[in-house]
Amino acid sequence: MSLATDAPGFAATATSAATRQRSARDPLIVVERLVKIYSTVAGDSVLALDNVDLTVRDGEFVCLVGPSGCGKTTLLRLLAGLDTADAGTSSLAGKALNGPSPEVGVVFQQSNLLPWFTVMQNVMLPLRVGGSSRDASKIAEIHKLLDIAGLKGFENKYPYELSGGMQQRAAIVRALARDPKLLLMDEPFGALDALTRERMNAELQRIWLASKKTVVLITHSIDEAIFLGDRVVVMSPRPGRIVRDLTVDVPRPRVAAETFGSPKHVALAREIRMLLE
Amino acid sequence: MADVRTETNALDLIASSAAAAQSRRRNVRIRNIGIGVAGFLTLLLVWKLGVIIMKVPPYILPAPEQVLVALWSGIAVSPASPLGWYLPLWSTMSNALLGFVIGASFGLLFGSLMAEFRAVETALMPYAFALQSLPKVAIAPLIVIWCGFGDGSKVAMAALLAFFPMLVNCFAGMRAAEVERLELMKSLSASRLETYYIVKLPSAAPYIFAGLDMGIVYALLGTIVAEFLGAQSGMGVAITKAQAVTDVAGVFAALVVLGVTGILLHLIVRWVERSVVHWANRGKH
Repeated sequence: MSLATDAPGFAATATSAATRQRSARDPLIVVERLVKIYSTVAGDSVLALDNVDLTVRDGEFVCLVGPSGCGKTTLLRLLAGLDTADAGTSSLAGKALNGPSPEVGVVFQQSNLLPWFTVMQNVMLPLRVGGSSRDASKIAEIHKLLDIAGLKGFENKYPYELSGGMQQRAAIVRALARDPKLLLMDEPFGALDALTRERMNAELQRIWLASKKTVVLITHSIDEAIFLGDRVVVMSPRPGRIVRDLTVDVPRPRVAAETFGSPKHVALAREIRMLLE
Repeated sequence: MADVRTETNALDLIASSAAAAQSRRRNVRIRNIGIGVAGFLTLLLVWKLGVIIMKVPPYILPAPEQVLVALWSGIAVSPASPLGWYLPLWSTMSNALLGFVIGASFGLLFGSLMAEFRAVETALMPYAFALQSLPKVAIAPLIVIWCGFGDGSKVAMAALLAFFPMLVNCFAGMRAAEVERLELMKSLSASRLETYYIVKLPSAAPYIFAGLDMGIVYALLGTIVAEFLGAQSGMGVAITKAQAVTDVAGVFAALVVLGVTGILLHLIVRWVERSVVHWANRGKH
């Protein structure tokens, strides 16, 4: 499932994407009884994840919320292959996830663009490292992604010449460069101001509707989680456990001005807030 | 007054305030240059008056104009003249620069290896520490024994002195690479070599340039010290020759030539740094 064959998906307008029915609803990620223990400098062991089970279906947008230190980031790092679990298994499309995979794209808290590279060099990095930076069709896809992300014309700028929101959009394009099945996002908009953040949420929804990726996104913002997620997974304080898995039954594309005050949104937000207290 | 204000549109205001800021910056620069020149002239005046009032003999401290004459006598000759600054300066510079390139390259190589491989770090760190604490010019006599009185000992001293700041800075700079950037490379399954030249080396660039900046001046120092111990040509030789005949004005003139050379080398390094590491110290997100 390369981007090239998905080209019609990119062209899909927001309205047609809204009515799009995902045929592939098979589980993409299956996490079973995952345990992660960290040892501190003092020599203590901290149980960061305690038997976490999670299933994410293909094409689904799942938001993870929870108090600071609840192991959300740990879970994401395990899925990204940046850490290894102490027990339990996780798999992607039936294959065990034991390390970094080209099928997984990661968006970090800070945009994490390399300041010595231009925007184009930054978003090409995954292809360069993967050894396919000369593949014309892949470069064409990168240009298409830059266009979708509103970065056309900024290819030769350096990160310090972009606004925070543009930097984060470039980071999303970079994460999509290898056409991964799964996009992992660790509080991607946490560093942005509230208004930019809201706009970025809408942009991310648009990019997601166009690219059909499966997304797991960590956030501190309950509103952001409800606005973006098909599901909101609530985690408990350390040791991290999943305490509730809520479905957000609001049609796409969602519009912030309509959904934020809606009874559904308010009820969900109240439920999540009570779980977090 | 109010009418004038309403007629001014915002773009004009922006343009005029930008122009005002630019002219302010220009004025500050002109003022700073003025202060510099005035300070220098004051120094010369105090020097001159001191020499006259305290009747300092010229073989202790020559008057500023005598230094100027000595300086000029070495400038206003043919470049091939043995009396000019050109030949000794060329000799010193070519040895210092060759040594600098060799020393800095080895510093970069060993600094990288130490940063990249713990085993290399563990093996080499004690020696690096010991040699770092040793005043390296004290090794000069040994170098002369090994490399002779020719260009070899000058190049070797320059390389030795340029090596250490480069080693230390390259090592520190690569270790300072941001964890997030290394994890990005890890998430992309990048090879060690790719991580090295895509992330670690650029991360270390500001440190490396600081090392080059120090190294170039140290290389010049090393060459001069080696020349003091014995050489056929070079600025060190020019200084000892002048000293031998108590031509103190000549010694001062040679020091001025070396000082200006050092400043120029420093400026060149800084200029290269600004164009290569243009992204440093910009707002990062």
